[in-house]
Amino acid sequence: MNTKQRTIKMLPLLVGLVVALIVPLIVGKNQYNMVLVTTVLFYGVLATAWNIIGGMAGQLDLAAWAYLGLGAFTSGTLLLRWNVTPWLGMILGGLVAAGFAALVGYPLFRFGVKEVWYALSSAALVEVLRVAFLMWDEVGGPVERYLPFHRASWYHMRFASYVPYYYIVLGLLLIALFVNYRISRSKLGYYLLALGESEDAAEVIGVDARACKLKALMIYAFIVGATGAVYACLFGFIHPSFFNTAQSTEVAILGIIGGMGIVYGPLLAAIILVSGREFMRANLGSSLESLYLAIYAVVLIVIALFRPQGIAPLFRKAYDWLLSRVVGERYAA
Amino acid sequence: MENIIQNLLNGALMGCIYALIALGLSIVFGVMNVVNFAHGEFVMLSMYFTFAAGAYWVLDAVTTPLITFPLLFLFGWLTYYLLIDRTLRYRYVTQIAVTVGLAILLRAIAQMIWQAQPRALPYSMIQGNIQIGGINILTSRLIAAAVSVVAIFLVYLFLMKTWPGRAIRAASDDLDAASLAGVNYRQTYALSFGLGTALTALAGGLLMTFQQVDPTMGLRFGLLSWCVLALAGLGSVPGLLISGVIVGGAEALAMSVWDPRSRLLAVYLIFILVLWLRPRGLFGRK
Amino acid sequence: MPPEPILQISGLTKRFGNLIAVNDVSVRLEPGTIVGLIGPNGAGKTTLFNAITGLHTPDAGRVLFKGTDITGMLSHKICKLGMSRTFQVVKAFSILTVEDTVRVGAYNRHGEKEIQAKVDEVIAFCELEDFRRQKCGDLSLALLRRVELARAVATEPELLLLDEAGAGLTGTELDGLMAILTRLNREKGVTLCVVEHVMKMVMGLCQRIVVLDAGEVIAEGTPAEISDNPKVIEAYLGKRAVR
Ligand SMILES: Nc1ncnc2c1ncn2[C@@H]1O[C@H](COP(=O)(O)OP(=O)(O)OP(=O)(O)O)[C@@H](O)[C@H]1O
Ligand SMILES: [Mg+2]
Repeated sequence: MNTKQRTIKMLPLLVGLVVALIVPLIVGKNQYNMVLVTTVLFYGVLATAWNIIGGMAGQLDLAAWAYLGLGAFTSGTLLLRWNVTPWLGMILGGLVAAGFAALVGYPLFRFGVKEVWYALSSAALVEVLRVAFLMWDEVGGPVERYLPFHRASWYHMRFASYVPYYYIVLGLLLIALFVNYRISRSKLGYYLLALGESEDAAEVIGVDARACKLKALMIYAFIVGATGAVYACLFGFIHPSFFNTAQSTEVAILGIIGGMGIVYGPLLAAIILVSGREFMRANLGSSLESLYLAIYAVVLIVIALFRPQGIAPLFRKAYDWLLSRVVGERYAA
Repeated sequence: MENIIQNLLNGALMGCIYALIALGLSIVFGVMNVVNFAHGEFVMLSMYFTFAAGAYWVLDAVTTPLITFPLLFLFGWLTYYLLIDRTLRYRYVTQIAVTVGLAILLRAIAQMIWQAQPRALPYSMIQGNIQIGGINILTSRLIAAAVSVVAIFLVYLFLMKTWPGRAIRAASDDLDAASLAGVNYRQTYALSFGLGTALTALAGGLLMTFQQVDPTMGLRFGLLSWCVLALAGLGSVPGLLISGVIVGGAEALAMSVWDPRSRLLAVYLIFILVLWLRPRGLFGRK
Repeated sequence: MPPEPILQISGLTKRFGNLIAVNDVSVRLEPGTIVGLIGPNGAGKTTLFNAITGLHTPDAGRVLFKGTDITGMLSHKICKLGMSRTFQVVKAFSILTVEDTVRVGAYNRHGEKEIQAKVDEVIAFCELEDFRRQKCGDLSLALLRRVELARAVATEPELLLLDEAGAGLTGTELDGLMAILTRLNREKGVTLCVVEHVMKMVMGLCQRIVVLDAGEVIAEGTPAEISDNPKVIEAYLGKRAVR
């Protein structure tokens, strides 16, 4: 592959990055729009991280918000109790989430819990944590615990506008994408893709399936946990309702719809589906509260049925077609 | 102490209904190997249908399965041909995506029609309590449990003794062999899915005699029925009943001796432990 | 004194409920040979492979590989020791390309630096150059079997177990496969154990044949001995054929 071809391949990424960087300059005045784009990116981070365990390793994890909640509670509690900055809380939250993932994942993989049962046990995990934190009065409990409010304080990761949050989430997204990309080009990535297709076949050619799955789960949990710390600051409080099964499922759905194992797939799905959902929510909102959910569900079913490979290959084709039109077949990726 | 026994008994009765719900799921998963994440929403739908029939036509919850059972059978049958049949050739992930989509759709529809607040029927012909010693049991629960057990037994007979039942079981043992032996797998699958769905109509009717319904209910019943199924393992109908009772009992026990909020915690902890220690379930044969 | 066996199975038994799929099987494989494992459908050949390679835990008996006890060891560890296999029902990595599939196997003994060279070598060895960028999901059965062989070869095994690698192949495809297997054995010194229904392949390749029926070894010997053995003919054709 020569440099020109490489540039052409990276072009969408560059354009996307530039657009992402200047979005706040365009819509930054409007708080509502800023919430929208931040939400989209936020789901983008979660779905991209999910791609490691779900898309590559083929383990249908439905516990994204379990790790998110753990990160949020870790960072939030550290801030409330000992005034630890959320910037450090992000890392510690990620570590706690990853540690918890190891604790849960080890026996699951050790005892061969797979497929549906893995999915269900991870869904159950979210509920277990929600109830556990509701009952754990020292850090959780039924009342929201508000983080100390400071107007625009970097130390507390609290800002008067959504723009800084947007850039923080964008940073997380870039990290998640980079990690994904690096893994997909490494031994671990190939191993994950292989065992996701057939664990037996991977094992007999030397893949330690349990260890690989556990690594994937921990990396995913770390990214999601770190994101959780930001989530807590964004909302300004922590609450057991952060452990949300429906939203965890949605993360997995974005990953599936995007295209399992394709680095940029989940992000694409998040951009299209989440912004579509938020748009509908805003425009159908008061009159037909749930119509947007219904439309969302139908879109999901249709894509899952007719595009089981996800939407990413479609974009790839469209881009190739566009390239062949613009610069000629020779450079088409 | 009596209080605990009373709660435990009530929980066990509730568990019979859980077993009935899980039976539908086990037919679908055990026979067709189809992963249905919308099963809980089917229960919710049944409960709303019961509510509607009760509210608009002044039918008693107990009698509504006469209407909702065929209705849900039809619904399941259609769902099979419209959605499930197409997912069979893909991996389980696609099935989960499609059925999760269906679950969200049903939840959204329920929310549009009946709004978010809980709904309940004002009365049922089975009311009141039964006193045994110092123990108080809701009549409605007792009857609901009894009906569930009878229904489970009838389905068991249907699977064991009748021709369609045998076809369903044959398909569960080996799809290729069954279709070679002249069983049309599509019809059998549609039948199984319809039956599995229709059983939730019965459960929904029974639940509505003493419970309210809201749109988020499906999630709970879905996870609960998967728990019962995991505990029982595939292929054992009596095992399903025992597991249902265990789950119901554990729920009640956790609520009365630990913390009222811990009921789901107990169930899910059992679920996760069973997956770790006995992935085949307590009574499973495969 | 015969050379030390590369694989020694003693008293291996595997049950599924009441069914005894493999019953007290003892077999020795000499290094550098090609051994055939044959038997009618349901004889327990695949189950025996599964029990050797760690996919099933045997109920009784021991498996020694190069003198190490590998009974009940995890498959990937057995692979590290130098044993790999293919599957009767192909288990392709359908979203990976041929090249990447081989790469997964090659990582067994090579780091990122040498990996590409190893992949190229194996692809050339297994004559897969024309398909290297194709997704496994798009390949024909014959090619998939070849890819499965290639990814196992890429792990650099000393012993390779092949479960019906010739099933469903045409005459020419079969010849190609046999040529590769012969080269694998001669040039790389890999010991092969092939389960096969295709007699042409068994008779043409193997120096020794083990016959399994209903989970038990009923005969062992050279191809010529086996084809004359009445017990074997009986197992394959039923009692009436022997008279
Ligand atoms: N996972 C399993 N569970 C239960 N029974 C099994 C299982 N795997 C194999 N069997 C049974 O064990 C016996 C041996 O099967 P196996 O697949 O080893 O035979 P085989 O010699 O490989 O046959 P074929 O030539 O058809 O491949 C058969 O009766 C089969 O039905
Ligand atoms: Mg076999």
